[in-house]
Formats: sequence, C-alpha cells, structure tokens
Amino acid sequence: MLLDYLPIAVLVAVSTILAVVVVALGGILGPRRKDKRKSEPYESGMRPIGPGTRKMPVRFYLIAVLFILFDIEVVFFLPWAVVFRQLGLFGLIEMFVFILILLVGYVYAWKTGALEWE
Amino acid sequence: MSTVQIVFLFVGFMILLAAWMMVSRSNLVHSALWLVVALFGVAVLFVLLEAGYLAVIQVLVYIGAIAILMIFAVMLTRGDVESLTHITNRYAGWAAVMGAFLLFGLVIVLGQWPAFQTTSPEAIESANPVLDLGMAFVSPDGFTVPFIVASVLLLAAFIGAIYAAFPRKKGE
Amino acid sequence: MIGSISSEMILAILPEIVLLALVAVIFVVDLVVSDERRGMLATITAVGLLLTLVLTALFSRPGPEAVLLWGGMLRHDWLAFIFKIIFLVGALLTTIFTIGWEPIWRKGEFYVLLLTSTIGMTLVGASGDLIMLFLAIETTSIPLYVMAGFLTRDDKSNEAGFKYLLFGAMMTAVMLYGFSLLYGFTGTTNIYELTTAIGAGEIPAAVLVGAAVLVLIGFGFKVAMAPLHFWAPDVYEGAPTPVTAFLSTASKAAGFAALTRVMVAAFPSITLEWTTLVAIGAALSMTLGNLIALSQTNIKRLLAYSSVAHAGYALLGVAAASELGVASVVYYFLVYVVTNMAAFGAIIVVYRVVGSDEIADYAGLHRRQPLLGLVLLLAFLSLAGIPPMGGFFAKILVFAAAVEAGLIWLAVLGVLNAIIGLYYYLIVLKVMYVGESKDADKPLPVLRPHSAGLVVSVVALLVLGFVFGPFYQWAVSSASALF
Repeated sequence: MLLDYLPIAVLVAVSTILAVVVVALGGILGPRRKDKRKSEPYESGMRPIGPGTRKMPVRFYLIAVLFILFDIEVVFFLPWAVVFRQLGLFGLIEMFVFILILLVGYVYAWKTGALEWE
Repeated sequence: MSTVQIVFLFVGFMILLAAWMMVSRSNLVHSALWLVVALFGVAVLFVLLEAGYLAVIQVLVYIGAIAILMIFAVMLTRGDVESLTHITNRYAGWAAVMGAFLLFGLVIVLGQWPAFQTTSPEAIESANPVLDLGMAFVSPDGFTVPFIVASVLLLAAFIGAIYAAFPRKKGE
Repeated sequence: MIGSISSEMILAILPEIVLLALVAVIFVVDLVVSDERRGMLATITAVGLLLTLVLTALFSRPGPEAVLLWGGMLRHDWLAFIFKIIFLVGALLTTIFTIGWEPIWRKGEFYVLLLTSTIGMTLVGASGDLIMLFLAIETTSIPLYVMAGFLTRDDKSNEAGFKYLLFGAMMTAVMLYGFSLLYGFTGTTNIYELTTAIGAGEIPAAVLVGAAVLVLIGFGFKVAMAPLHFWAPDVYEGAPTPVTAFLSTASKAAGFAALTRVMVAAFPSITLEWTTLVAIGAALSMTLGNLIALSQTNIKRLLAYSSVAHAGYALLGVAAASELGVASVVYYFLVYVVTNMAAFGAIIVVYRVVGSDEIADYAGLHRRQPLLGLVLLLAFLSLAGIPPMGGFFAKILVFAAAVEAGLIWLAVLGVLNAIIGLYYYLIVLKVMYVGESKDADKPLPVLRPHSAGLVVSVVALLVLGFVFGPFYQWAVSSASALF
C-alpha cells in the first residue's frame, strides 16, 4: 500500500534536493559584488517606489474565501463521483439537493457581483 | 525498526521543527510558509495511517486553500510584514511552564491507557476506502443528514463571507 | 447496499426541510423583488416560520419511545421536539421584531442567515452523533457571527461580530478537541454508544474527565456560563437588538439542548466530576451575572449580564443530572424564550422611537405608552421570578431539582441571587414608572407586528405561569427521553 506513494516521495525528495543544490551552487559559484543599486528589487530598470510589501485590495481575500468554499465542495464530490454508478437514483437525488443548495450560494455570489473584478 | 517507523520519526521531527519555526518567526509570511511545511507533514502522517483520501484533502484544502488565505490575510492587513518585533510578552515563561506541565501530565495519564500496549488491528482491508466514503455519504443509514447539512453550512458561510467581506460603495 | 427511507425518517426532519424550502423562497424573492417592497421579506419569513411551527407540532411529534434515525445521526424524541418548538418560537419572534429595523429588514441575507441558524439549532437539539452535533453547532454559529456584525457601517456591531467569531472559533476548536479525544478512545461517534464504549475501553479516568471538560468548555461558551461569559456583554451590546434577542434565547437554548443530551447520555460514569464542574459554573454565572448587572446603565448590557445569571439558574437543573433536573431545564427555556423576547421586543420598540438603550431614557415610559410599560413590567417580573409569572415556576423547578440532587448550597445561593436580581429589575421598573422625563407627553407609537409579537410573548409567559400542568408534562416527557 505505502509503496504506492513512493513516486510522490521521490518527487518531493528530488525537488527539495534540486532546490537546495541550485540555490547553494548559485551562492558558492556566483560572483558577489554588492552595491546599493544591486540590492534593490528589480523593477525593469526603474527606481522602486516604496517597499514591495504593500497592502493588497480586500477583493483578493474574498476570492480566496470563495475558492476555499468551492474547494471543500470538491472534497465532497470526489467520493461521490467514485461510486455514483452503484448509488442509483437516491444517490443522484441527494447529490442534486447538495448541489442545488450550493448553487443558491453561487447565484448569490454572482448577483452581488462578488465574482466580478471592477 | 521498520521503514514506516523511520519515516514517521523523520516526518514527526519535521512537523515539530516546522511548528516551532512557525511560532517563533517574527515575519508573518515566513510563519505562513513554515505552516505549509507542517501541514504537509501531517498529510504524510495520514498516508502512514493508510488514510490516503485525508492526505489528499489535507494537501488540497489546507495547503492549497487555507495557507493561501492566511498569506493573503497577512498581506491585506499589514503593510510592512516585518514590523512585528515582539512575538512574546511577559507571560511567555509561564505559558511554557504550563505547556510543559500539561504535556507531562498527558504523557503520564495516556501511558496508563491499556490500548497503547496492544498492537493496532490491521486497517480494515477495503478495496477502496474512497468508495466506502462515497457510499456512507449517500446512504440513509450513513451520513446523509450531515452531508446535506454540510451543504447548508457551506451556503451560510458563503453568504456570510460575501456579505461581510464585499467592499461596499459609500452610503450602502 | 443503501438502506431505504421510511416516512418516519422524513417526518423527523420535517422542520428542517420546510425551513430549507423557506430559505429558497427568500432567495428567489430577494432576487426579484424591487427595492421599495423589500419589507415583504420579513413577512414571508415570519409566515413561513409560523407554518413550520404548525407543521412541526402536527406532524413531527415523536412517539412515546425515542428512536435513533438516519443511521443514528438523529434522535427523534421529546427533548428534541420541545427544543425545536423553542427555537422556532424564538426565530419567529425575532423575525417579527426585525420588521422596521433599518437596514436589516430589507436584506434577504439576514433572513437567510437567521433561517440557516435555526436549521442548525433544530439539529443540535436532535443530534445523536458527535459528527452531526458538530456540523449542527457550526451551522448554528457561523450565521450568528455574521448576524452579530451585520451592521457593517457600525463599529460596535463590527466589534461584536468579530469578537464573537474569534472567541467562538477558538471555543469550537476546544470542543472539537474533546470530541476527537472521545472518538479516539472509544472508536465511536454515536453519543448513545459512547457510554458502553467508555465502559469497555478501560480509559483512564483523568483522560475521560479531561475530554468531558473540553466538551463542557465548548458548550459552556455557547450558553455563556461563567467564567466563559466574557464575550456576552460586548456581543450582546454591539449586535443589532433583534440579533441580541435571538442570541440570548434560541442560541442559548441550543447550547443547553446539546449540553444536557451529551453530558447525561455520554458521561454517566463520571457524573460526580462533571456535575461538580457544572455546579461551580452555575454558582459563578449566577453570582457574577447578577452582581455586575447591578451597576449597568445600558439596558442591553443589563440584560446581557442578566442572561448570564439565567444561564446559571438553568445550569442548576443540569448539575442535578436527574429527570427532574432536565425537566426543569426544558421548562426554564420554555419560559425564558418568551420572557426575554418580550423584554427585548419592548427594548426594540423603545429604541425605534427614542434611539437609545440607556436605562435613564426609559424614564416616564409608563405614561408615554402604558401597555408597553405593562409588557416590560410583566417580562421583568417573570425574569425576576415573581409569581404568578412563568419565571416563578421555572425557578422553583430548578431549585427543587438542585435540592433533590443534594446540591442544597447551590439552591440557597440561587435564592439569594434571585433576590439580587429582583433589585436591578425593579430599578429599571422604577425608572420607567416613577422617573421624570421632559418627553413624558410625547406618544410612543408601536408598529402593529411588534405589538402582536409582544402580546403573544406576554400571553405565553402568563399562560406558562397560570396553566402549569400540560407544559410541565411536556418537560417531564422530554426529560424521560434521556434517562
């Protein structure tokens, strides 16, 4: 059973090692000539205005919240989708109710303009 | 020691380290990133417990969505993420003592539980646990009502989140 | 394979189904109706809730024997049924009192949240399984967080919503930790199988008590049991008054429904430990609530602390952990929901005209609107526990339950507290009847739906006092469903 996860483990290990090695190599081999200009953030040649960490509009947060809610719906859909052939009519109706209730929320989000980016 | 135990110890230490780094960083974005490491460790623990679907959920929901939300929240509220210099107050020492006390208490008390001495029963061999979960969701003698209530809960959260967070124009 | 559905299963969740349909109706109306006619949202909600109430009373009545339905998720018994009635009455009166409350009553969102919260409550009362219970509690709480902070342009309301959310989420996490420990040790989430599993599992008593304490903390927060009451005054004061009314009645009753069922059904082996904790909580709640209420000048804050004290009185019945105890809790909430609704309804009416919740502004109210004064008088006397109002019998019952269970010190403390309580209720009444005000001749108009709501609540609290028998019988049958 656990061997099924070996590819994932290998992927994680290789990507971690690769990231560490690449960063380390850059640090070891690359030339280091510090001056004020160089330590500034790169802004396509312009002088940067203020720090890079600025406040972001609240809309991002709303999008993230909606994303979480849709994400959790997926969590419920997945096991249902695996077995829906065996579930028959009742399973279909139940999932229909489930989706219908959530659809109400979706219509609300649409209607209030929460999904739009002005 | 079996492979599973070695992996468990490794991952366990990784989670503890990440959790410690998370609470001890003064840069909130770094904290959030360490949290991702800890959450991933928990996903690996789920795999070790043969709860593959939970591991998927852990990655999908917690790392994929909630960690993102936290990073957003940090960026929304704090212009300068490194301005928080004091992450402890004068009660930190007491909290540490209390925490240690609680930990030892739990270890001692839980050590008396006889079920820890018995070997765990083999996980119920099912062709596919996700199949069972799907069946449980929709069978009336399973989790039908909680399943539907979950959608009602999501609906309420949906409307509440939009209502509370939707930027309004003046005078509305 | 898949089991089948019987008509009994459908009837058991009939209230929830009707409420869900009502949510859908509100949504459709909210989408299509023009801005000027949005007031009909409240009317539709009220009519729908009344219909739900009637349908529930007619068709969702449980048999004499309690049954576990839907795979053990729900328990269809008298305790669940009576609490469902309490929640529906609370939601109905709340809806009536929102009429005319700008801008709430023009917002479909508000009624959708109110109804989903009510759905959650009805399920809290009936939950036979920890998973179901947790989902139901969350379905109850999450809309309430938003409702408390519903006035997004009002700083106090925002603060109330935010505080409630933060503390509530924290306490839910604590409770969930307790649930997960119980599941981890017993291997079952069914509340009615927990007892046997606890007996068989040789769980160390300290761990079991620890888990019970975590669960108790979670429920204690929901019912504002001292020392977990710290959120209540700020949230009650900041939230829009109809929401405060809903929080202090239906939401509190939901906490008690869960508290009695889980504690009595799942932890009989450590009854002494948890009843002692509940008794301490009851003593603290009564004393703190009443003493701090003495010095309040804002009537919402006064009622907030008074509701902490009332949670304390009702906890007496829980601490007794007997049939009489549970019956007294049920009766207490039958009375408390209508009494507090009458009080808050009067406050809402006054606020509409006067625009203030300060007790000083109630001076001369008696002359401005004698009937409103009478409503407040009856409600406050019932809260204080004066015969023949319903509050009197409710208090007698919880004290009797405490004495029967040997908690005589607690009953004595309760009686002393009732006297302190009487004092601050009388102060408000004194301001209202004796106080002088320059506005004393200005009339104080009452909207027709509001007066209907007030009359219903007052009649109910008088009936619960005068016609004691049948309602007490309800309470007794719901208590016997637990034992």
